[in-house]
Amino acid sequence: MATTRETTSATGGSVGRVGRLVYGFLRSVPTWVLWLLVLIWTVPTGSLFLNSFRTRDAQRRSGWWASIGEGGWTLDNYIDVLSSSRQTGGLATAVVNSFAIAIPATVIPIAIAAMAAYAFAWIPFKGREWLFVLTVSLLALPNQVALLPLLQLFAGGVHWTVPGSSTVVTLFPDLSLAGSAAAVWLTHTSFALPFAIFLLHNYIASLPAELFEAARIDGADHFTIFWRLVVPLSVPALAAFTIFQFLWTWNDYLVALTMLGANGSAYPATIKIASMAGEFGRLEHLLSAGAFVQAGVPLLVFFALQRFFVRGLLAGSVKS
Amino acid sequence: MHALTGALWGIVAAIGASALLFVGVNRLFDLIVDRWRLFLGLIGALIGAGFFAVLVGNRVLDGSGTTWVIGGAVLFALLAVAPDLVPDPRLRPVVGAVMGTGIGVLVAVAVDAAVRPTVSPRDLIVMVGITVGVYVVISAARGRIRPGGVLVSAALGWVAGAWLLGEVGGGSPTSMALAVLVPFGLLGAALGAGKRRERTRRYDLQRQTRVGAFLGPAMFFVSMGLVVPLIRTIYLSLHDSRGRVWVGLKNYGDVLTNKRSLDLEDWANIFGSRLTYLGAALLVIGLVAGLWLGRRRGRLLEPAASSIGPASVGVFLLMFAMFASLRGTVMNNLWWVIVVTLLSTVLGLAAAVLADRARFESLAKSLIFMPMAISFVGAGIIWRFMYIARPPQKPQTGLFNAIWVGLGTLEPSSTGHLTVIVVLGGVTAAMLGLSIFGTRRRQPDIAIGSALVALPFLWLLYRFLGPGLGGVETGPLGNPIGKPILFVQEGPFNNVWMMVVLIWIQTGFAMVILSAAIKAVPAELLEAARVDGATDGQVFFHVTLPTIVPTISVIVTALIVLVMKVFDIVRVMTNGNFGTQVIANEMWQRAFTEFNLGLGSALAVVLFLSVVPVMGMNIRRMQRNEV
Repeated sequence: MATTRETTSATGGSVGRVGRLVYGFLRSVPTWVLWLLVLIWTVPTGSLFLNSFRTRDAQRRSGWWASIGEGGWTLDNYIDVLSSSRQTGGLATAVVNSFAIAIPATVIPIAIAAMAAYAFAWIPFKGREWLFVLTVSLLALPNQVALLPLLQLFAGGVHWTVPGSSTVVTLFPDLSLAGSAAAVWLTHTSFALPFAIFLLHNYIASLPAELFEAARIDGADHFTIFWRLVVPLSVPALAAFTIFQFLWTWNDYLVALTMLGANGSAYPATIKIASMAGEFGRLEHLLSAGAFVQAGVPLLVFFALQRFFVRGLLAGSVKS
Repeated sequence: MHALTGALWGIVAAIGASALLFVGVNRLFDLIVDRWRLFLGLIGALIGAGFFAVLVGNRVLDGSGTTWVIGGAVLFALLAVAPDLVPDPRLRPVVGAVMGTGIGVLVAVAVDAAVRPTVSPRDLIVMVGITVGVYVVISAARGRIRPGGVLVSAALGWVAGAWLLGEVGGGSPTSMALAVLVPFGLLGAALGAGKRRERTRRYDLQRQTRVGAFLGPAMFFVSMGLVVPLIRTIYLSLHDSRGRVWVGLKNYGDVLTNKRSLDLEDWANIFGSRLTYLGAALLVIGLVAGLWLGRRRGRLLEPAASSIGPASVGVFLLMFAMFASLRGTVMNNLWWVIVVTLLSTVLGLAAAVLADRARFESLAKSLIFMPMAISFVGAGIIWRFMYIARPPQKPQTGLFNAIWVGLGTLEPSSTGHLTVIVVLGGVTAAMLGLSIFGTRRRQPDIAIGSALVALPFLWLLYRFLGPGLGGVETGPLGNPIGKPILFVQEGPFNNVWMMVVLIWIQTGFAMVILSAAIKAVPAELLEAARVDGATDGQVFFHVTLPTIVPTISVIVTALIVLVMKVFDIVRVMTNGNFGTQVIANEMWQRAFTEFNLGLGSALAVVLFLSVVPVMGMNIRRMQRNEV
């Protein structure tokens, strides 16, 4: 009864029984639409999740919805897709490779970007403003632009033929990095820096200036200030970027595909499941389990650390 | 197991090296003020090791590489420290020159006979003249000529004259000695020529180097990984497929005139499409509603659900009609950018508004946000399962085709058949009733809104009862056979089905940011509007929406940049077949499977140029914030 009375007063005056009913219905529409949206957004993932526990025959006989009634779930798909025989995915190795790419590709840019962000925020020097704007404007640069030259650099170094002679000078040695995980980290590091510097600079620049003055009066140099003051105080921003970058590198396909080339033994999980999807039919029944193995780590990180993730997103797009 | 240990070692080595480098460089610069000579020695050792490593790496020196690198480090350390040990300023350049020449002798002896240059005195004089001249002109313009600078530029000129102009390989031991001893001697003398750094000057130096230590690694990676490659890609895009011969803008011409990239032949189809007429009709309805509402409120067009809703859907359909007729890679990319950016933003806004202060708000938001954690590849696979189309004889296991074929093959007057009629009819009747209710109460939003919702349901009901709804065709024996939709293969709308995947991912992104922006709208503003008697719709369109416009523009630019380079989804789902090619995938195929460097680079530059306006906007926004 309380809600009806509210309805009457809110719309002011006589509404009538039909009116009350209709307005009550209209008031609940947003909730219905919201949960309909949530349902639509969850069904694709949920259905793949159910399918990943169904046998090959069951997957071919009926859609995932049939399994809700009939059951018959099994873990075989997961076991098969992880184990490495020719008939299966061999995804366990790929998951290890994913970690081998994602962890360094997360840690290295954070360290580098935090230092740069501190320098941009608190060390005055000539040309600081424009250098910062220039660096951060590279945020929008499509990675595709850099892939080809970087691959050439990793595959053969940089050589310069002196004009008018046949002398070739090696400016950067051929470290035969092409096809190695290190090439992928280094590429990710470069690509991540503009955003990382932007995100961390926003945060570090907003720390109170008195803090730094006090530390300088106590005789602390920049290294001490950075290590003892800035790093501990920036943990939220660092955490936000860590999650961001980890998800990004874990889920990356383009950079790994380009830099690893034909070196299948170093492929991360994304390339593995993409190539499984490419082999029409044969491994189709393992594909859903494979997709979940690949998505499992980021989903865990996401649900466990969502608060930091959201904070990072907000700091990156809305200047507070 | 081998892979695991290898990976672990790699990780430890990479992280350890970065940490060591960072701490090491900072500790090195800590020495400047109080332990100047140790600092000089260490810097000298580093430079020496690097210099000799380059020589060894280029196979210039005979003998063991390790010995040369270590020996070189020691020699350069001594060279760096020695002049500082001499108190007499007149003696110091001499000490430096002697030490430098000594190192030169060692190098001259060790250089492989095959790389000895022939040296002509004329080359040397010309090059030294040029470099010294350039130095003197530049530093005179800045008001100060240093003797050390003259010596260094002379050394550089000498090296250039000997090694770049001379012929490498044919030289005698004498010319070799000439080519090496003089520049080393000059450099040594230059080291001693400067004023000795007193304490205060060392403080300045420490400050400058510290900027270098903090910014250096980042600038190194940004320039090596982004700036230089960008320049190189532009360079390659102006050359042939092997990157050797200059071809001017030919590659760009290929991109734009190729029929696969841009196919405008069927433009007339736009006007034969039902989408065009439906879109135009909705646009007119929206405009009329806006004008009508506006007249009551005393302005030209009133933004409200019943005017903005139909008008934007109308514009959207018109655009679909256009993109379905104008085909090609470039058009596909534009289609992606417009549809994904708009729908992700609008749906994100809708979710943010609907979830605001709803029960279980955070649960609903995390479920809509969740796809953000899933890779594009994974999302492509997830949606492939939704879109599966199996042969008509087999059961449909994809949700969409199961519904579609199921609808089409329902037995007339079966329970399922009746249920569909009741549901469709019920919704239509309810919406029409609501529309009449809204008209009676003079609530145009309710009246027009529910009428518009009723229309598609009415149409579905008509189709179901009349011509038929769902995937079905008549078999050879006159029996109905299911006819699934080939979501992934059937053009041109297979593009749209793939866009759905990216919209599914990015809506959460837009929602989270917009939700924060909506919560940040000052409560007093909303309160004031409500006190003035504004409805929820009016509060949204006149208070909330204008306040969050800056946030919306941030999201739109971020999405444009992201969608422009869409790659993974297309590659996994169709690999650009069936008329779904996009620029990024085309670029990858040209550059990395056909190794056509010129065309691949040109496509990459096209991607780059398309985001240049966005970059410009970002720079302007940042500069505004800095002030």
